[in-house]
Amino acid sequence: MEYLKEATFILRREIAQFWPYLFLVIFIVMAILSPWISPFDPDRQHLLARLKAPGFEVNGGVFWLGSDELGRDVLSRVIYGARISVFVAFLSVIFSGVAGTALGMLAGHHRGWFEQILMRLVDVFLSIPAILLAILLVAILGPGIVNVILVLSLSRWPRYARVAHAQTLSLANREFVVISNAMGATTLHVLRTHIFPNIFNQILVIATLEFGLMVLFEAGLSFLGLGVQPPAASWGSMLSTGRNYVSTAWWISTFPGVGLFILVLSANTIGERVGGLPKYGGTES
Amino acid sequence: MVTIEVLVKIAFREERVFLALFLKGLAVLLMACICLSAFAVTEEDIVIDLSGEPASLDPHVQWNPASYYVYRNIFDNLLMRDNEGKIVGQVAETWEQTTDTTLKLTIREGIFFHDGEPLKPSDVVFSIKRIIDPEFGSPQLGQFNKIVDAVAEENAVIIVTADPYPSLLAQLVKLSIVPEHIISKVGDSKFNDAPIGSGPYAFLEWDRGNMVKLIRNEDYWGDVGPFLRATFRSVPDVATRVADLRAGTADLVVSIDADFAQQINSGGTGKVLSALSERVGYLGLNLEKPPFNNLEMRRAASMAIDRQGIIEGLLQAGEVPIAQMLTPSHFGFDATVPPFEFDVARARAIVSANQALASSPATLATSPVFDQRIVQAIQQMLNDVGFNIAISMSDMPRYLEIVTSPSNRNSELSFGRWSCACQDADGVVYPLLHSSSNWSRVKSTHLDDLLEAARSSLDPEVRQEAYDQVHQIVREEYLMLPLYQATVLYGAAVELNFVPTANESMFLNRMRIAR
Amino acid sequence: MIRFLVFRFSQAALTIFGVVSLVFFLQRLTGDPVALLLPETATEDDIKVMREVMGLDQPVWSQYANFLFDTFKLDFGFSFVRNAPVSEIITSRIPETLELAIGALAFSMVCGFPLGLIMAFTARRQVSKWLMAFVLACQSLPTFWSGIVMILVFGVWLQWLPTSGTGSLSHLIMPSISLGLLSLATYARMTRTAVLEELEKDYIRSARARGVRGARLVRKHLLRNSLVPIVSISAIEVSQLLAGAVVVETVFAWPGLGLLTMQSIAARDFAVVQIIVLLGSFITVSANLISDLLYSIIDPRIRL
Repeated sequence: MEYLKEATFILRREIAQFWPYLFLVIFIVMAILSPWISPFDPDRQHLLARLKAPGFEVNGGVFWLGSDELGRDVLSRVIYGARISVFVAFLSVIFSGVAGTALGMLAGHHRGWFEQILMRLVDVFLSIPAILLAILLVAILGPGIVNVILVLSLSRWPRYARVAHAQTLSLANREFVVISNAMGATTLHVLRTHIFPNIFNQILVIATLEFGLMVLFEAGLSFLGLGVQPPAASWGSMLSTGRNYVSTAWWISTFPGVGLFILVLSANTIGERVGGLPKYGGTES
Repeated sequence: MVTIEVLVKIAFREERVFLALFLKGLAVLLMACICLSAFAVTEEDIVIDLSGEPASLDPHVQWNPASYYVYRNIFDNLLMRDNEGKIVGQVAETWEQTTDTTLKLTIREGIFFHDGEPLKPSDVVFSIKRIIDPEFGSPQLGQFNKIVDAVAEENAVIIVTADPYPSLLAQLVKLSIVPEHIISKVGDSKFNDAPIGSGPYAFLEWDRGNMVKLIRNEDYWGDVGPFLRATFRSVPDVATRVADLRAGTADLVVSIDADFAQQINSGGTGKVLSALSERVGYLGLNLEKPPFNNLEMRRAASMAIDRQGIIEGLLQAGEVPIAQMLTPSHFGFDATVPPFEFDVARARAIVSANQALASSPATLATSPVFDQRIVQAIQQMLNDVGFNIAISMSDMPRYLEIVTSPSNRNSELSFGRWSCACQDADGVVYPLLHSSSNWSRVKSTHLDDLLEAARSSLDPEVRQEAYDQVHQIVREEYLMLPLYQATVLYGAAVELNFVPTANESMFLNRMRIAR
Repeated sequence: MIRFLVFRFSQAALTIFGVVSLVFFLQRLTGDPVALLLPETATEDDIKVMREVMGLDQPVWSQYANFLFDTFKLDFGFSFVRNAPVSEIITSRIPETLELAIGALAFSMVCGFPLGLIMAFTARRQVSKWLMAFVLACQSLPTFWSGIVMILVFGVWLQWLPTSGTGSLSHLIMPSISLGLLSLATYARMTRTAVLEELEKDYIRSARARGVRGARLVRKHLLRNSLVPIVSISAIEVSQLLAGAVVVETVFAWPGLGLLTMQSIAARDFAVVQIIVLLGSFITVSANLISDLLYSIIDPRIRL
């Protein structure tokens, strides 16, 4: 009996450690497999079965999570919505992270006028509220998934650039960098083999926290009518139309809301934990 | 900082106690702040939630629906429409067309501005000249620029137009009379800040970005209505407006759809008022781009759209399917235009006969202000028969730019809702079908001739004849796809009686409180 | 020292100039405001007249030069959308914006600091994990949704609080909480990290070893030093508030600058957006500058 107790204790501890990863995996699997696991076509409307409560039977199946304002299956849209929400957040983190880190490292390594211009540009971008920048950019480029990713990347790269720049500067006088430079190594070589591995951890921490933020940003753009194009669903866009039905058809916004909440919470928790690990510069024991 | 230190002190004596205290403190804080709603809506006051702030309260400059709702209660117009939509006198008591280009209006006596000065024919002349002055730069200039002169003559005003102008009366419904003696004294911008009119309600206060307050004009020459004060608030989010109504914070809310109407009805604390409006929901077609440069494709598109289904399934507020760009409340409406047929099988047959053309990618331009449920339903209906339509939603300025650009840069399809607020065909079919207009995708000299003939004749029969032909051509060639006559929906407090009108006006003095 | 100050100030001025210029040209790319200002029946000529009235017929560079010149003279232009001078429009919104910002900051600080402290002192216990989860959860839901749920629960259902608008202290509660929740997590986390870091330091260890406990420890030693990162984060939070305010003010019909920003972009009211951005970047940049200076005051070890 004793060992069983211990086992449950360990299990509980491990679940507490790993639930955010578990949810992330579930969502990613959901996103990949959505065409095969969703019971309905997410965009198929049933105008005669609008706003039906969970469990409503329609010819061809059951709306397990109810139907939305156009009689579309909420479950299928939640499954497909994972795809867009995860996809948009993931790609914008990748794009802004790669661009911001590369530029930041270059600036920190090269110094001179390039650094001056780039870092002033970073200051400028960070002094405009990101949502305002995003709204302006969407107004120029037009909405749609590709543009949303582009807009989010364009407004978020300076965060990475600033950190990468500062970290690169702090590494610049370290022996291995100085020696490598003296030996005439190319910029690419120095950055790749010496700088990047040493700043990767900090970048990773920012990226995990940014991921959750990007999910919320996409939702915010949807609320302002600037997100993905209808009829495609993201959790954010479902939440922003569903909020009009909170008191008459709670299921439209509740389920994508729960999904979005868990996704952001998982990303934030992972970010918090990664940031807290000693080897990532954290202080937690 | 003091609070924090106190908290911290307690914290380190006993963590657990602190936690409890912290939670208690939060609760107390919350409860202390909770006082009952500050908006005690008394019987004599009315609070109206609009979706935006008035752009101006000077009726002659830039305006938007919100300003229209407010200033029409402050000012009297030269003419107005009654609840049935008939043009009746307001500042003008009677009028007659003296020649083809002159209109003589007798001005009502005993109208006083809110400062006590009488409203004179010279104020009417001043108002007309002010709005047609290009230097003044009124955005409404286009509606009045047919007027070349106005002269006062004892108790009458004579309006002179460049050509015979049949929709003049319909336009004069929108002309508010402003006081010459005040504007010439304080200037345009001061006047906008604190407007003085002659209407049933006088301006009280404008808290910019937030609300406008009006107070009853006890000396009004006509009916003043039951409210002592009226507050027009700006509440951009429709869900919040409905919550305001349900909580009793607002007595009347605008711009809701049928799904919100259902929420209001089921809540029991409000009711829904609706009326057929002069607004037409339609699909604009690009006649120079595939697939809709082909008559058969346009026919198929029209047949694929279940107008009745959209109305019964989504709109649900008594909208009426139509087959012309006008509603029965417009002059120029032709009751004999046959309705569009709904026939999915034939639509499919037409499409499959020319699959390549039908499946060429097309975009449907729309904007967040429109009902996205309808746009998405239309997209599905069209794609179900074999078209390849994608929705392209952009914010209002971008949408306007797209739908008014030349055909080669325009979208293949666009959703729109048209109202000229004049209830005359000239304000609808001329801009939408005449080749000179940005909005028109049609280039037909025959149509141009008909539209110009109808615009320049004062004989109602000649005009009706021309418009009948226009509707027939549009119907037969599927040049545009009118969908439905829209309704206007309001949420109102249970005890508020108010008859919505086709031109979406909101006169406080026509409202009543049921006791 | 003086050289450094001059350098920092000119850098700040350059940043503000960059922001204003960037937004100027971005706005000109978003399209023409005229179509929205005129009725649908407007003709080509009407549009041309309106463009001339608004000065949009001039080349972009001369518009830009005019704008810079006017702004330098503190002439902030005229809004054709709202028929009022921009300065008047914006100043009328500032009291409400401040009220909301103070409410939100107060809420997030009053809740965030103690939460952070508790989390730091219970760092090895389960409580800390739950509190952290709670804090993270606070910022994991979009405000446009949680806002309307709050309105429905506290405004419509329980009728404890007014549903929207301004006027009394009770109007401020829901918008402040909505907006403050976003910063609450930042404050709690920063406080926790800062306090933990300080607790590890030798002087605290020795103070604790000497038997200094509780409030004295916190007041004498911890608070002062942990304030450094917290102050710097406040600077960033202030600028984040405007961003969060866009949504919160829309939902609660709060007539502040966030709502004005959104409406002005939607109406292509270039002049208003321009000045809001100028104001916003000015606040952000000066907040950063001040936090840099405060650093050196709170922690004399950091030299300018």
